[in-house]
Amino acid sequence: MSSYASPLFSIVAGSPEPIYRQLVDQVRRLVAGRQLAAGDTLPSVRDVALQLAVNPMTVSKAYGLLELEGVLERRRGIGMVVAAHAGSTDGAGDRAALLRPTLERAAREARELELDPATVLSLFTQILKESA
Amino acid sequence: MTPSPILMRGVAKRFDSKPILDGLDWEVRQGQVVGLLGRNGAGKSTLMECLLGLRETDGGSIALFGESPDALSDATRARIGYVPQKSDLFDWMTPLQLLAYFKAMYPRWNDARVDGLLGRWGFDLALRNTPIRRLSGGEQQRLSIIRALGHEPELLVLDEPVSALDPAGRRDFLVELIEGVIERGTTVVFSTHILTDLERVALDVAFLKNGRIALQGDLGDLLDGAASEAEQGARTSRSLEQLFIEVTR
Repeated sequence: MSSYASPLFSIVAGSPEPIYRQLVDQVRRLVAGRQLAAGDTLPSVRDVALQLAVNPMTVSKAYGLLELEGVLERRRGIGMVVAAHAGSTDGAGDRAALLRPTLERAAREARELELDPATVLSLFTQILKESA
Repeated sequence: MTPSPILMRGVAKRFDSKPILDGLDWEVRQGQVVGLLGRNGAGKSTLMECLLGLRETDGGSIALFGESPDALSDATRARIGYVPQKSDLFDWMTPLQLLAYFKAMYPRWNDARVDGLLGRWGFDLALRNTPIRRLSGGEQQRLSIIRALGHEPELLVLDEPVSALDPAGRRDFLVELIEGVIERGTTVVFSTHILTDLERVALDVAFLKNGRIALQGDLGDLLDGAASEAEQGARTSRSLEQLFIEVTR
């Protein structure tokens, strides 16, 4: 596993999640969490590709999927911006859904470790308090 | 329609009586960036050497941009770059002599790019004038990459290009590959055992097994496909490493 942080994105190569999907999920989370607001400009495909050392087509694919979903909009001469309505209708339920894949992975590992639900939940509660 | 950079049909190659390539079919299209994967001894280097006409084959046909590798025109030869896994050739020359020698062989040579790479990749004046045999493995590998990029090939074939490089050197190489090669639409085939590097730059992967391309496809689709087969509810998708083990075992 290797990871490399850029100002906005970070990816983990060697993970079961393809890199384009890691980028898609990160933008969704940043928008849902209001860290990216409507009208904010995304870094160019080229900048992201060089910062993360990934193929520009992979970044393009992620941006393209986000555009199809209506999270991003392509603006002439500017590039990709966060769409006006993106995130505005997201309730807590939608935002929680974004956490599901990560928690599913954690749940699988918990089962592999044969931990009971109460232990896992108290650990998660503790972690939430630590990082608050 | 312009011919594909690489087209192989039914290619066979035996060492003694052992088949290494066994009726291998493979096509790489313009602009593809393909990672070639396989176990040690699967024949990746042999495949690349046959492909480039550096080894005779025992059957089948190969076309590079539509031409046989045995009879490449100078124009087509100039469209191809190759970084061998290990090269002992010309090791009595200095880096500057080697680059001047290759520059003379090609109709086009990007001096600014070569000078830029030499500077950024640690070739100071002393190193540029040191016989290649006295360079470290990593320095020789970097020089080999610079040599293969000088004539700005349209097809770049890389055999374990980063095996001797440290993590910082590998990162420099990846960025150069993205900025100077992939962005120009160059077709790239490379083999490596460093799957995390491969995942960053290859859009397609091809697995060589039992003398044939056992599986080729879009890397994202292959990882997603592995995910969709998993039991419902839990997304137990597989990493490239797991895919490699499953496909090549």
